[in-house]
Amino acid sequence: MLEEDVAAFISDTVMMIAATRDDAMRAHIGRGCGASFDPEVGDVALLASSTQWPDFTANARSGAPIALTVCRPDNYQSLQIKGQIAGVTLATDDQAERAQRYIDSMLAVMAPLGISRLQLSTVFSNADLVAIRFWPADLFIQTPGPEAGERLRREA
Amino acid sequence: MTPLETIRDSFEGIMPSVIATTDAAGMPNVSYLSHVYYVDSQHVALSNQFFSKTAANVRLHGRATVVVIDGRTSLQHVLDLVFESSSQSGPIFDRVSAQLDVMAGLQGKSHMLKLRAVDIYRVEDCRRIDPVAPLEELPPKPVANRDLLAEAAAATAELSAITDAETLLDRSLEILDERCGFRHSMILIADDEGRKLQTVASRGYPHFGFGAEIAFGDGIIGVAAERRLTLRIADMRRGQRYVSAVALATGLYSADIPLPSIAEPQCQIAVPLMAGGRLSGVIFAESEESFAFSYADEAALEIIARQIAASLAIFELTDAASDVATRGTSAAGAKEAKRAFGFQFFPRDGGIFIDNDYVIRGVPGRLLYHFVRCYADTGRCEFSNREIRRDRAFNLPDFKDNLETRLILLRRRLEERGGPIRIERPDRGQIRLVIEGVPEIRVVEE
Repeated sequence: MLEEDVAAFISDTVMMIAATRDDAMRAHIGRGCGASFDPEVGDVALLASSTQWPDFTANARSGAPIALTVCRPDNYQSLQIKGQIAGVTLATDDQAERAQRYIDSMLAVMAPLGISRLQLSTVFSNADLVAIRFWPADLFIQTPGPEAGERLRREA
Repeated sequence: MTPLETIRDSFEGIMPSVIATTDAAGMPNVSYLSHVYYVDSQHVALSNQFFSKTAANVRLHGRATVVVIDGRTSLQHVLDLVFESSSQSGPIFDRVSAQLDVMAGLQGKSHMLKLRAVDIYRVEDCRRIDPVAPLEELPPKPVANRDLLAEAAAATAELSAITDAETLLDRSLEILDERCGFRHSMILIADDEGRKLQTVASRGYPHFGFGAEIAFGDGIIGVAAERRLTLRIADMRRGQRYVSAVALATGLYSADIPLPSIAEPQCQIAVPLMAGGRLSGVIFAESEESFAFSYADEAALEIIARQIAASLAIFELTDAASDVATRGTSAAGAKEAKRAFGFQFFPRDGGIFIDNDYVIRGVPGRLLYHFVRCYADTGRCEFSNREIRRDRAFNLPDFKDNLETRLILLRRRLEERGGPIRIERPDRGQIRLVIEGVPEIRVVEE
């Protein structure tokens, strides 16, 4: 389970990057397009474009490990969540709408920081959206600074 | 593999990169990375000093995956990296370290981000990430609207034909504007005595700011001088959220002569003026536009800066070798002297105050004191570069101290200030003191 503040943080207007890995242990990077925590099931659903990040999503298989780092763009406050993928499905209409809302609100947050729509043009992609569900097993502070990488919690 | 040279704009640090690794259990780790540094066509450098998990994973597998993004076009590339070496010194370490120090200074965290080591990676592959559904149509790869190599060649051709320091200083800033688009720029000369830099020429600012100072090590200009390295900040918004670099850069006397500045600089570059292994000053340029200066602009400015430095060194050599003595000792201007004014000299740092207003310090201050003292004692107001060089009181043992440039600075500072003392240059190697009033000299020992 994630605490409420962590759950709120990942579903807020935060930048999100994620990584899976292949059998040769090579990491593959993808960018998320919204995430949410389901308190009833206890897992995180990360939305990502399967065609923009084909290597990342190809290695997002049930049972495979995944790492997700979320970062608040105005102060670089960051968290990394690691876990095991429970399942990958095509995004539902609700999730597609959620991804669109995420993109719109991120663009609104980034504009006053001087980062334009053009600069973010390929960062947020909701084409061929999939939902990657994973159980959050490990949580780390990732804010740049001496505490970066410090483990906050480990699920037994 | 996409050649790294074609994605140089992705190594500008405008948008954070992403790095991912895998641990022994096969769990990935992913984090943002402030900067990926281009080293050569096969290598990049990373300064991932805080992310210990990444470092541990790299030690284990020797591999990392990085996504870089072009801050102008949003085009992304993925790099497959293989760790090669880690270094705690050397040119790449120095460059990355200086860049981090300047950025840390901008964020007010100057002691937080000290670089421990820089890691060099071989780039096994570099692939373009084709945008599937870009939010905006990506602009076509900008066609270079200037051939900066040709412009630099033309600039150095013109500058190398100039025969005096003053024309060189002003014309070089004009040429940088006309040929390379550097609209706000200044040249500062180094004063080893106080480890300071003083503005001697500027262009594109509301005021010239002659004599405005920056301490070695302060801000982008001071660090460029201290480390003798070119420094460029492509996008200041990301690092500092409008903390004024200029305010941080100014030294002890900041309130006395404001440094020329633009309201909201977004992009800055500082290049040390080096010739014969010696630093004579720094040339600085800034812009209100983010990413105004690319690595190509940097290269052009470096070429031109080296020509400026070489010419200044040659002028000093020529001046030192010339045998022009003082022409006369007539007390021109003395007859009109009426009003008395306070003239304070601080031997500790060469500081001069006129009527309690700060004027200048360092070697130019000592020179002015010498002129005014001679005038007061003997009525003499004509001097020569030659006699100054021979006077050990100025600590100018040879050509290396940029006497001519300091005299230009002194003359300009006095002129911008407007009376009662001026310096004229009636002829090459000649100095004429013009005083309107009677100086009441006071030497303040501290």
